[in-house]
Amino acid sequence: MKNTGDAVGSFFLFLLGIGAVHGAIRLKVGSPTEPQPGFFPFLGGLSLIVLSTIIFFKGRIGQGQEKIAFGEVGRPALLLVVMIALVAVLDNVGYVIGTFIASGLILRILNVRSWRTLILTSLCLSIGTYVLFDKLLGIDLPVGILVRLGL
Amino acid sequence: MPSCKAPEILRNEAYLNVRCNDEGRGKRSRWAFFSSLSGDRMDFLVNLFQGFSIALSPWNLVFAAIGAVIGTAIGVLPGLGPPATVALLLPVTYKMDPASATIMLAGIFYGAMYGGSTTSILLNIPGEAASVVTCLDGYKMARQGRAGPALGISAIGSFIAGTISVFGMSLVAPSLASFALKFGPPEYFSLVLLGLIMAVYLSEESIIKGLAMVALGLLLGTVGIDPVHGATRFTFGVSRLLDGFDFVVVAMGLFGISEVLINLEAPEIRDIFKTSFKGLLPTKEDWRRCWAPVLRGSFLGFFIGVLPGGGAIISSFVSYAVEKRVSKHPEQFGKGAIEGVAAPESANNAASTSSFIPLLTLGIPGNATIAMIFVALMIHGIRPGPLLLQEHPNLFWGVIASMYIGNIMLLALNLPLIGVWVRLLKVPYHFLAVVVVIICVIGAYSVKNAVFDVGTMVAFGVMGYLMRKGGFPPAPLILAMILGPILERSLQQSLISSGGDPSLFVEKPISAALLCVAAFLMLTPILKRLLKRKTLTGSAG
Repeated sequence: MKNTGDAVGSFFLFLLGIGAVHGAIRLKVGSPTEPQPGFFPFLGGLSLIVLSTIIFFKGRIGQGQEKIAFGEVGRPALLLVVMIALVAVLDNVGYVIGTFIASGLILRILNVRSWRTLILTSLCLSIGTYVLFDKLLGIDLPVGILVRLGL
Repeated sequence: MPSCKAPEILRNEAYLNVRCNDEGRGKRSRWAFFSSLSGDRMDFLVNLFQGFSIALSPWNLVFAAIGAVIGTAIGVLPGLGPPATVALLLPVTYKMDPASATIMLAGIFYGAMYGGSTTSILLNIPGEAASVVTCLDGYKMARQGRAGPALGISAIGSFIAGTISVFGMSLVAPSLASFALKFGPPEYFSLVLLGLIMAVYLSEESIIKGLAMVALGLLLGTVGIDPVHGATRFTFGVSRLLDGFDFVVVAMGLFGISEVLINLEAPEIRDIFKTSFKGLLPTKEDWRRCWAPVLRGSFLGFFIGVLPGGGAIISSFVSYAVEKRVSKHPEQFGKGAIEGVAAPESANNAASTSSFIPLLTLGIPGNATIAMIFVALMIHGIRPGPLLLQEHPNLFWGVIASMYIGNIMLLALNLPLIGVWVRLLKVPYHFLAVVVVIICVIGAYSVKNAVFDVGTMVAFGVMGYLMRKGGFPPAPLILAMILGPILERSLQQSLISSGGDPSLFVEKPISAALLCVAAFLMLTPILKRLLKRKTLTGSAG
């Protein structure tokens, strides 16, 4: 049984290997007596090309692992969208507001129906972690628009 | 000395420098080696007492307890493993004393081994990968109304194994550290290579895919400024990448975010088997059956844990297989044999403790959790390796002594509080998932106070998710990323010192022996396949 997962995975690894070898050559590989910055990446890239080729052919002749079984991909995809949005706005809106909204959305994705639970949990998490990490442990978290409130 | 012709930047590396300063190294290593070999018990006891004075300080006791509690909790809760937890808690340790930080993180690791058995026995879901095998007999025991003795023998066996392993570690580690002072760049190159190959070989995934992940990890480790020549590599003009990918960020993505993504795919089903926890202490008959499996599991776990790449998971499987083979009633295994709980639980605990040996003595993290503790030490400016014992004896002995104390704490936490841990399982996964995501965001941001790192973490989270789906193990990738710079430096320095002649690696006896083991491991699957084919052809003929 041919394994498309292995084929796709090995193809990406193969491309990465090609890219690494190309980048290493541009950096200069040098020789064993005088290794240059590209020497080690060249070896790594070459290994990746060889190994990805083996994975590809093992997958083609049916020696690869079982087919990839994805479950319900909707929820992981939505979580990713929320996280990407959080990354985009974190500096501007700040940690507390950003994580409050993100936590609410994540809880909603995870089928939390009660608005009270959702808002209270999000509020406790964003403010609680801000106080713990920023105020008590001294990790500077972005204040964002709350800076106007003098926080 | 040809090796001293290496560029200045290479000579500045503390442990690689050992090779250049042959005279000093020789004296120091000989002294340390012979003093340890002569079995200077007084020194050992003095050091251990010094370690206890550090571990018993009020704050370190608190941190050991915090580590033990968090470790047990994450061991109990399926869906968050020790590598992710240690990575998540790294920001908390930034302002802590290095010894206290290591004590807490170590507590998380061995605490998780205690807690992992609870879900295996009560839910048939391993809280930890190392407790997978405990499900086989533990859950059957619970079904037969013997959950109490199963949980009891698992906690007591873990305590005995942990204590034996810590004792073994305090005896072996100093001698190994002294021996490792003999290592120069060729030996380090071979050792790191062996460590990476063993990590792949002992993982349950495909060896070829594991090796591909090692190659990818080595490449990711080259991103940033080349430490030897100062050239920028694979940064694509992004200034944030000049320092390379941060291990904490990558680990949080690969282990934390990807874990949440995987768990979101399936609906949450937790069917806790309702049973009485009365009679947690095993009966006389249970003890008669278990004392030998506990001891065998302890010693097996200890030796497997010492191997670079070895660890709790493989040791639990090996000890289960050994017990089944030596048992007079192998047919009872898988049907509720108490030996099938006692042996693997003892082995995984012994291995989790002894896996600190390669880290503290050779500077080689053998598994993903230990790799995170390696990163924690590096953040505090401490380079794990053979010089750690001499440069930071307080940390070395403090951590060892804390493990004795941690094991007692865990026994006290696990047996009487079993009901509390079971109640923890009722916490809905969505709360845990949100907490993990938020702590990942804080952890990634705190590395350099940059949103760029949060984005990188998300990208590695997606990568980790797809890797797991495709059967590509993430642990070899992170190990290779961490060990890559050591491998590169030792390779370059070795080649420069030998004038480009790779035979140097086989001329040095230690290096040659390490490479032989690596080659043997690589050839084993091929030899196995050839033998199988030959047997099949023979039987067909």
